[in-house]
Amino acid sequence: MANKFYEWIDNRTGLNTFLKIALDEPVHGGARWAYVFGSGLIFLFILQAITGIVMACFYSPSSTTAWGSVYYIQEQTSFGWFIRGLHHFGSSAMIILAIVHFFQVFIYGAYKKPRELNWITGVFLLIFLMGFGLTGYLLPWDQKGYWATQVATNIIGTIPVIGDYVKVLHQGGSDYGNFTLTRFFTLHVFILPLSLVTFLFIHVALFRKHGVTPHWKISEKLLKERVDPFWPDQVFKDIVFAMIIYAILAGWVFWKGGAELQAPADPASNYLARPEWYFLFLFQLLKYCQGNLLIVGTVIIPMIGLIFLFVLPFIDRTSSNSPVRRIPFFATISTGMIGAIALTVLAIHHDAHDVHIIHQREDAEIQAARAVILAKKGIHPEGGMSIFLNDPVYLGEKIFKENCNGCHKLNGVGGENGPDFTNFGSREWLFGLLKNPKDKKYFGDSGIMSPVKLPEESLWDISEFLLSQSGNLLNTNIDSLERGKELTLKGTCAICHPIGDINAKKVAPNLTDYLSETWLKDFIKNPDDQKFYGTKNKMPGYEGKFNANELDSLVKYLLSLSKDRLLVSECIRQEPVKNTNNVSPLTPNIYFGILTEKYLLASK
Amino acid sequence: MEKSRRSFLKIISHILGGTLAAGILAPIIGLIIHPWLKETIYGTEDFIGIGNLDDFPVGIPKKMTVTSSKMDAWNIFEGLVMGSVWVIRQKDNSLKVFSTNCPHLGCGIDWGNDVNKFLCPCHEGVFDVNGKVISGPAPRDMYSYQTKVENNTVFVNYKNIT
Repeated sequence: MANKFYEWIDNRTGLNTFLKIALDEPVHGGARWAYVFGSGLIFLFILQAITGIVMACFYSPSSTTAWGSVYYIQEQTSFGWFIRGLHHFGSSAMIILAIVHFFQVFIYGAYKKPRELNWITGVFLLIFLMGFGLTGYLLPWDQKGYWATQVATNIIGTIPVIGDYVKVLHQGGSDYGNFTLTRFFTLHVFILPLSLVTFLFIHVALFRKHGVTPHWKISEKLLKERVDPFWPDQVFKDIVFAMIIYAILAGWVFWKGGAELQAPADPASNYLARPEWYFLFLFQLLKYCQGNLLIVGTVIIPMIGLIFLFVLPFIDRTSSNSPVRRIPFFATISTGMIGAIALTVLAIHHDAHDVHIIHQREDAEIQAARAVILAKKGIHPEGGMSIFLNDPVYLGEKIFKENCNGCHKLNGVGGENGPDFTNFGSREWLFGLLKNPKDKKYFGDSGIMSPVKLPEESLWDISEFLLSQSGNLLNTNIDSLERGKELTLKGTCAICHPIGDINAKKVAPNLTDYLSETWLKDFIKNPDDQKFYGTKNKMPGYEGKFNANELDSLVKYLLSLSKDRLLVSECIRQEPVKNTNNVSPLTPNIYFGILTEKYLLASK
Repeated sequence: MEKSRRSFLKIISHILGGTLAAGILAPIIGLIIHPWLKETIYGTEDFIGIGNLDDFPVGIPKKMTVTSSKMDAWNIFEGLVMGSVWVIRQKDNSLKVFSTNCPHLGCGIDWGNDVNKFLCPCHEGVFDVNGKVISGPAPRDMYSYQTKVENNTVFVNYKNIT
C-alpha cells in the first residue's frame, strides 16, 4: 500500500530521482568526521527555525506586550522555558560551530579557486548569523536586551553620513518603541531567515558542484579510488554529530535552568548594557576608541576585517592547500582571532571585577525574580513596567525616598537625624539597638534608653522574641524565642515598655506586636502618641498625610528592608513560615543575597 | 561486506535520526498544545460583587452593571463591563437575579414601572416580577443567576446561567 502510494507520487513528481541526486552524491576521498560541521550548522538552523516558530505562537511584538508574552512562555507553559532555552543557547552554539566550520574550511584551503563563491556566500551567512543574534536579543524587551541593543543601534548611528538615517530606519523612529520591536521582529523572523535560506541554498549548491575539499595530504590516486556515497556513509556521521550537539545543548539548557529573562525594560533606569558574549570583543574594542576615534572601532576595524574575509580567495593564489605554504594568511587570520579572544577575555575579566557591575547584576537578579512574582497576578495593559508601578514595595520605596530618607539613612545614603534603616527590622538591626541605643546608627545622643546590660546571646534572644511577634520572621528559633520572651517579660524591659496589651501606655514605646504592619502604621501616623514616644518624640506624624494605600506601601517597603523577614502578603505559598530549630534552606548564603532568595522561595 | 555495512549504517541512521527527531519534537508538541493543558483566558472571579444589600429596595427590580477582571494569557484587564443584571430583593432578604437578555432572541428586557412587569420591547414578551413568562414568544422564563450575600455585599455567579 505504502509502496503503491510512493510509486504514484514518484510517477508524478520524480521524487525518487530527486532523492537519488540529493543522497547519492559521491564523497571523494571517503566520508570523514571533518566534514560534519557544515551539516551540524544546518541541523542547528533547523532547530532554531522550529523552536522559533513555536515561540512565535506565543510571542507578541509590541513594547507593552513583548515582555509579558516572553514571561508567559518562560513561566506559565510546560516546556516554554526549555524551548526558549534551546533557542537562546542554540544561537551561541551556532556561532561556536560557525567559527569551527570557518577554521576547518580555512585550514583545508576550501576557499581557493574554484570555490571563491562558496567562501563569499559563507561570509554572508556568518553576517546573517550575527544579525540573528543582534535582533533576537531585543525581542524579550527586558533590561538586558533593551540596553544592549541601544549600544548596537547607536553604533549604527556613528556610520558617517548615512548613520542616522539607517538608525532611524532600524528603530522605526527617533527612539525605541513599538516600531523598534516590529522591525526587529520582522528582521529576525522574515528578512534574515529568507536571506539566510537563499544564501544557504547557493552555498550548498556550490558545495555540491565542487565537492568536498579533501585533506591536502590525500593523494590524487586515493581521491579517485576511495569514493563513498553521501548516504549513508556521510549522513550517518552527520546524524551522530547532530545528536551530540543536541545532547550537549539540552544538557546545557537544563543545567542553566533555561535562558535568563530580566525585569521588563525600564527606559528610565541607568542599566549598564552588555551584549551577548559573541559581540563582547567589538564592545571591548569601543572602549579603546573614544571621541573622534569612535568610528575606528565601530566602522573602520570591523570593515577591514570583513573586507579581508571577502577578498581572501582572490589574494591567496598559492597553488597548494598545505598550511605550510600559506603562512601569511594563517598569521593574519590567527592574529585577528587571537585579538578577538583577547578582547573578549578582557571584557569578561573587567566585568567580573567591577563592583558596580557585580552590584547591578545582583540587583537585576532581584528585580527579575520580583518581576516574575508580580507578573503572576497578571500584567496590566500598560505593559511590563506596570507590574512595578502597581507594586506596593516599589511605591513604598518612592515614598520613603521622598519623605523619610532625609532623616533615616539607608545603605549609606540619607540623613542622620533618625535611626539608620539599613537592614531595618532584622535581628542584627535590633541586636545593635539593644546593645547601644545611643549609637549614631540608632538614637544618638537624643536616645533616652540605656544599653541593655545582658550577655550578647541574651540580646539575640530578646530580638528573636520581639521580632517573632509580627509572625513573618524567617527561621524562627523556638528555644531562643522562649528565652527571649522570659527575659523581656520578666526582665527590665517591661519596666518602661508595655508589652502584651496593645493600648497600654508607659514611659517608653509599647512593644506589643513590635514592627508588625499594624504597629508600624500606627507609629508612622502618630509617633507622639502616648503608647509610642509621647512627649519625647522628635519625628513628625504622618496622620492624614499619606492615604491608606501609600501608608500600606511604605510599611511593606520598610518590612522588605529586613533580610530576616518575608512579606506574608506576598508569599505565594500562603502557609506561614514554619518555626524550626534547624538551619533551613533559607539560610542566606547564596551570593546574590537574601532578597532574591526570598523572592525565589516565594515564587516556587 | 561493504554492502551489508552500508545496509547496517542505513538502519542505524534511521533509528538515530528518528530518536533525535522524537527528542526534539516532544517538547515542541508539549508547548504547542499548551491551550489544551491550561486555561489561557478566564474571568478571575466566579462570584462578582455588584453592590450592598441595602442598595436594593425590597420588591422593586434594580438594574446593575456587572464589572469584573479577565486574565488574557499574561494580561489582566480590570474593570471590564461583563453585562448587566436585574436584581430583586425579596422580603426575606434573599435575592433574585435575572439576565437582562430575553430568552427569546436576546433583546434587552426593561422593567415596566407602571405595569409592574418585565417587558421585552422586540416581540412584546412579558414576564412577571419573578421572571415567569406571562405572554409573548419567549420559550422559557427569564435566565437567572446564583447569588450569595457576604458581609452585606451581594455577589452574582456570572459564569453560570440557569
